Amino acid sequence: MYFQKKRVIAMLLAGGQGSRLKVLTEKTAKPAVPFGGKYRIIDFPLSNCVNSGIDTVGILTQYQPLELNEYIGNGQPWSLNKTHSCAQVLPPYERHDKKSGWYKGTANAIYQNIDFVDRFDPDYVVILSGDHIYKMDYAAMVAYHEEHNASCTIAVRNVPLEEASRFGILNTNPDNSIYEFEEKPPVPKSTNASMGIYCFNWKVLRDALIADEDDPNSSNDFGKNIIPNLLAAGHKMMAYPFNGYWKDVGTIASLWEANMELLGKNPAFDLRGDERFKIYARNSALPSSFIDSKAKITNSFVAEGSSVYGTVKHSIISVGCTVGEGALVEDSVIMPGVTIEAGAIVRNAILGEDSKVCRNAVVGGAFGPEDKKSISVMSKGAVIEENAVLKPGDLL
Amino acid sequence: MNVMGIVFTNDASLGELTDKRTMASLPFGGRYRQVDWALSNLCAAGVRHVGIISRHNYQSLMNHIGDGEEWGLELEEGGLEFLTPYAMSATHTYRGKLESLNSAMDFLEYGADDELLVMIDSAVLSNINLTDVLNAHVSSGKDVTVVTKSGVCDGKTPVDLALKVENGEVTDMMVDYTAPEGYLASMDIFVLNKKWMMRQVQEMIARDKFHMDRDLVLGGWQRGKVSVNVYEFQGVAMFNETVEAYFRNSLALIDKDVRHDIFHGNHPVFTKVRDRVPTYYGDACDIEDCLVADGCFLEGKAKNSVLFRQITLGEGAEVEDCVIMNDAVIGEGAEIKYAILDKNVTVTPGAKVIGTPRNPIIVKRGEIV
Repeated sequence: MYFQKKRVIAMLLAGGQGSRLKVLTEKTAKPAVPFGGKYRIIDFPLSNCVNSGIDTVGILTQYQPLELNEYIGNGQPWSLNKTHSCAQVLPPYERHDKKSGWYKGTANAIYQNIDFVDRFDPDYVVILSGDHIYKMDYAAMVAYHEEHNASCTIAVRNVPLEEASRFGILNTNPDNSIYEFEEKPPVPKSTNASMGIYCFNWKVLRDALIADEDDPNSSNDFGKNIIPNLLAAGHKMMAYPFNGYWKDVGTIASLWEANMELLGKNPAFDLRGDERFKIYARNSALPSSFIDSKAKITNSFVAEGSSVYGTVKHSIISVGCTVGEGALVEDSVIMPGVTIEAGAIVRNAILGEDSKVCRNAVVGGAFGPEDKKSISVMSKGAVIEENAVLKPGDLL
Repeated sequence: MNVMGIVFTNDASLGELTDKRTMASLPFGGRYRQVDWALSNLCAAGVRHVGIISRHNYQSLMNHIGDGEEWGLELEEGGLEFLTPYAMSATHTYRGKLESLNSAMDFLEYGADDELLVMIDSAVLSNINLTDVLNAHVSSGKDVTVVTKSGVCDGKTPVDLALKVENGEVTDMMVDYTAPEGYLASMDIFVLNKKWMMRQVQEMIARDKFHMDRDLVLGGWQRGKVSVNVYEFQGVAMFNETVEAYFRNSLALIDKDVRHDIFHGNHPVFTKVRDRVPTYYGDACDIEDCLVADGCFLEGKAKNSVLFRQITLGEGAEVEDCVIMNDAVIGEGAEIKYAILDKNVTVTPGAKVIGTPRNPIIVKRGEIV
């Protein structure tokens, strides 16, 4: 890597556990969770970076990093392995003054990597998180930030008023400048929800991180500390409205929904769309998928290397899966390498990587009238024996 | 073992399908180019220095292979080299393999003297364990090892080189002939000692001999100058040397065993990554016995066919016994049977394209039917 001055670099927070994804993140970090048949969640922010002309990305990892690190590798799938680009995995480390160790919070993670950022002497640093599904041109956001001469710009989206109290809400003046930030307000004043995507002037952020680290009472978090502190100090902060598709896939239900939103003739989130805004993923060397004469597939995605002999309705079949003869998969997300044997029934479920549903077993079922989203989940490598049942909403 | 690989891209022999490309860059099997098998075979045997010899039409090939990253060949030391005629000889293009090797002496010179050389073609596809072949060559002590397949020679099919083997010894050879049953067909994979081969090439060229099969193997063997070891390959070998064979072999991939052997037999087949989205199957689609690549949008019917990447199949369209290459757009209600659609073909709604099993209709790249 040749270190040259960069106008913009990105720091991707990928260390969270994603505990609300339950069994799916027992052995893997949330950003490495498979999505959409051949992707992983982290492909979206990484591809957005590349598509926005950001070629230097620091990736902060902490929780269960093995699979994530292996997946990122040298950044080759996103062309981040060239002379002037990098995808640098930044794990926590030990330092002589003991001002290091596990990342205490999102801000502390960046604080501990000030040296990494300084090497590129960037004007702007874009802070991203590894748990959102969306396509966004960060370059447009940085241009907006620059144009308004702001210290910090936060991407916001309009959420329904009744949901606003689940988000960090930014109250803005008519010119989109922010005058107040409220984390999960019980009575929201506006519907501008923070998307957790920030653009900072590096000098401002650098000072703020050092000051925050010196405050023993801080929880070293962007939303709780850095943003309110900068606002209190009188910095100009802008809200950058974003209207495209965006989904936080932090829960089982939202992960399932986001997958389902890829389906249909005119899907809510269209992965094909713009050739210049492709989502890149590390590809496995698998042949085309095989669709047998007894197969029946409707309104579904089937990725490479899968063999389908049964019925698939409104589902995502990821790379390297097998759906046996007479099996039924409906309204489900089947992650890579899953085997569903003959006669098995899988409905309203998420099947983790390399899991197996043996002959005539039943996983999940119709959603009950009251319990709207009782999604059954199998963890990575889990096995449901022949004729066994995993009830709707159960986790294995 | 020190091993160097030479891949021959083979000239056009499939008419319109190879008008603007070599056999090496001919798409096959849904998401591959034929050269992927040669490169993946070498890659799996740990060969990290490969030369690609091409006479012409190599632009699409260079685009496909790039720096060889997908096959582990993007190396500082060794790696991949394109041995194109323009880079080596200003006067003419090669008349045969020996002549092209003679122009590649600098490439062959590189590396250790005890190196073995694997020569492999792009028209015959197999998923072969070349380490096995290399070991067999070394233990045979012979000059040349020819990889062969039984059951190809039937008295009707012309083969490049046919060999008769009795009690482990070669008793007859024929070149470019419809050899009778009982002969083994060369898969155009040879293993030789590099230094020995370099000397042979120079002597052959000095006598104006340039044909590998006829002059070096057959001629040398007849004169008692070249000893020949025969390695009989047991897996699936696809001789895609005519349009009919290419078409038949493409549809043979629908068979589970054939498919498994050619794609996974000994190792995976690597190819250039295209980053397409998974294929979408619409509400009205009906796909039976098909090999389907990524990025397709399917709303019509397809049966017993190979569908490459990024194909749009309109509602009510019917495809049967076809090979449809990348980016085809098949309009609503169109009917296509026994056809090979080259890349970027548009079939207008309601159009009919109907060939026969022996004479599939070829629709040229970019055409609108």
